[in-house]
Amino acid sequence: MPRTTPTFSRREVLRAGGLAAATLALGISAPETAGAASPSDGSFGLGVASGSPRPDSMVLWTRLTRDPLAPDGHGGMPLRSYGVHWEVATDPGLEHVVRRGHALAQPELAHSVHPKVTGLRPATEYFYRFRSGTTSSTVGRFRTLPAAPAVPDTFTVGVVSCQAWYHGHFTAHRHLAAERELDLVVFGGDYVYEYGITAANLWRQGVTVAPEHAAEVQTLEQYRLRYALTKSDPHLQALHARVPAVAIWDDHEVQNNYVGGRSAYGLPDEIFAHRVAVAYRAFYEHLPVDLEALPDGPGSDITTGFDVGHLARFSLLDTRQHRDPVPETAEEQAEPGRTMLGRAQERWVEDRLVDSPAVWNVVASGVVLMPVTEDRTDQWDGYPAARSRLLDAMARSSGVVVLSGDIHHAVAGELRADVADPGAGNVGVELVCTSVASDGDGAPTDGYAPDWLQHEYVRLYDGRRGYLTVTLTPQEMTSTFVCVPWVEADDSAPREVLARFVTPAGTSRLVEA
Amino acid sequence: MPVPSSRPPRQVTGLRAEPAIARTELSWRSLGFEPLIDHYRVHAVRGAHGRFEPDGANLVGKTVYPQLTHHVDPRGETWTYRVVAVSDAGRSARPSGVLVASSVASVVGTGVPVATIGDFDARTLEHRFAPSGYAQIPAAYPDAVIEFEQGVDSPADAWPYLLPGPGDAWAGRKAYTARWRLTLPAAPAADHDVALWLVDTTRLGGTLRVAVNGAAPAEVALPPGGTRGSREGDATVPGTALVRSYHELPVPAGLLREGGNTIELVLADGGWVAWDAVGLFARR
Repeated sequence: MPRTTPTFSRREVLRAGGLAAATLALGISAPETAGAASPSDGSFGLGVASGSPRPDSMVLWTRLTRDPLAPDGHGGMPLRSYGVHWEVATDPGLEHVVRRGHALAQPELAHSVHPKVTGLRPATEYFYRFRSGTTSSTVGRFRTLPAAPAVPDTFTVGVVSCQAWYHGHFTAHRHLAAERELDLVVFGGDYVYEYGITAANLWRQGVTVAPEHAAEVQTLEQYRLRYALTKSDPHLQALHARVPAVAIWDDHEVQNNYVGGRSAYGLPDEIFAHRVAVAYRAFYEHLPVDLEALPDGPGSDITTGFDVGHLARFSLLDTRQHRDPVPETAEEQAEPGRTMLGRAQERWVEDRLVDSPAVWNVVASGVVLMPVTEDRTDQWDGYPAARSRLLDAMARSSGVVVLSGDIHHAVAGELRADVADPGAGNVGVELVCTSVASDGDGAPTDGYAPDWLQHEYVRLYDGRRGYLTVTLTPQEMTSTFVCVPWVEADDSAPREVLARFVTPAGTSRLVEA
Repeated sequence: MPVPSSRPPRQVTGLRAEPAIARTELSWRSLGFEPLIDHYRVHAVRGAHGRFEPDGANLVGKTVYPQLTHHVDPRGETWTYRVVAVSDAGRSARPSGVLVASSVASVVGTGVPVATIGDFDARTLEHRFAPSGYAQIPAAYPDAVIEFEQGVDSPADAWPYLLPGPGDAWAGRKAYTARWRLTLPAAPAADHDVALWLVDTTRLGGTLRVAVNGAAPAEVALPPGGTRGSREGDATVPGTALVRSYHELPVPAGLLREGGNTIELVLADGGWVAWDAVGLFARR
């Protein structure tokens, strides 16, 4: 049986930056005799995950813990390295193992491991688990992507965002994990929140938190602790075990409204960089992301893309790290040179859109793309010239679907080629996912509704919690907005479909179904 | 194959202190990102010492930044400091050398209070609309003037926790005035001091004009704040994003008089200030 051998390009090793290359390598794959301490010293209290899907590979993730919420952020683990075995099989009982390997859970990475399983068959269902000593993890499942030029009959994506653990139960995850058809989940930003948890914002009933959670998160130990708290939720763990995950970030993975390395709260950039560096590291440590996402100090590369055969092309954007500062005047806001993505990422997504062979071209953005009001400068409204450039690229593509979040509301809209010309055609549709928990129960409408519903291209606005599923076929896309009526009291709220839209292939319309 | 162990962080160097009112601003050289520093632990003991051993009992703060503000007794204090870096792997560096530093005494600690609004406790909570009801201020004060009469009004009824400024669109972009009236039994023979303690202000910073009995106003330059004091009212919470600032001005005895006196505070530039407390103090 083949084993996974780690291979690292020179660039990747150089990018390892603040983490010794050997540490990095051993967290992905290690010889079984790699000098680990007794392997019976941890368990898998934060679950398992898979991600970075490809036709022939998948990244697996887990983190060894003894006490996941230990205040020092090390999960109660001694500050030594421990061996972790993994195996991948074609059956849920893991009797037909096709790949197995060994990685080292090291304190430098909070005892997380990111083994990359290669040599897999495309469009194939697999099951996996980890083992440390006599302790085994729960069994996870993933399906590899179909390889080009295959066009699968269907591919269903779940979309979630804004997981303020303290504002409510992750009922949305409970329902999403139980969806009959689900191939992938996209985390659209704000996987964690940095705010201190106090009596004022602990709306999730039936829980208590230790005093160390009351402080605003700023150190690595605090970010690790916040990820651990978030990932301790059983419904989030079930979702991760069910399907592979891909993730982009927004602002709260670091600090509210930070912009391209600049704090919104008055810290000098060179000082704030220390916080960015630890926040980016914690993101890497807790998500099933590939090596490219390992930060180098206060910089990281989470921009990624993949193809689902020739059915869909996904481009996941970083709309936070490379953006220009918040404009101070309307003139500055309108400057043609302002960027949301940075030049390199802008060119990258343009090329992917224009050259795509896929029926559907899905772009994930941390913030809303469609025009709403000019004072929403944290969204693409603050970057109108950059938005026009992206819309131009979308106009030269086809089947464009933008997935976004951030606003804690479910919104569906059509993207006009020219926002100033009501008669201009559409270049795509945008599906804005509401929050999983942020802002608590919410309500169908609120004071922000007129800002959105003033636009004839907005087809849906709702302020309750939930998620979104998007089913792609060669003929059409079906987007289903699901809400849960409450999240604060408990996790028992039912699944309710808010709205369902069909978009025929070759069009950019939202047709209510 | 032996497992390579990441090296511990280097020792913190360049520890320095800037004395300030009721606090000491500490900073040191950043250790960069190799290895990644989880946080720095700041240890301190009261008084001047040639050496002490850092431990949990003398830990006064943790920070990811190469700087920390240590809030101390407003009467002024001397402390001895050491800083320890902790890496991503939980490894601790050797402690820095010691640094002895003294804060600047505040009139809040050294003076005799003549009149005060609120408690000097790093919280806005006793003031009107605190800690997050700022949206009610424009309706409650449509002419942008806040009146407070000492001995008659209370902070909870008549002193909003924020004084808005021209940078606040939500408050009509006006320079709000807070007019504080107080009665003195006799004209003072000695100079006094006004203490203006803020829990936070906005990233805009600003200028606060302070006029006593119509005299030419003094201008207080406000440094950028954390922009969180409009929603949070307790700056003593560990890791708070609130940025306190302290401003104390002498008031010559000749400016004060027997009977009614007026101290007017106008936020001429910038965004809101969040009050901790204000006070007029006689010198001992």
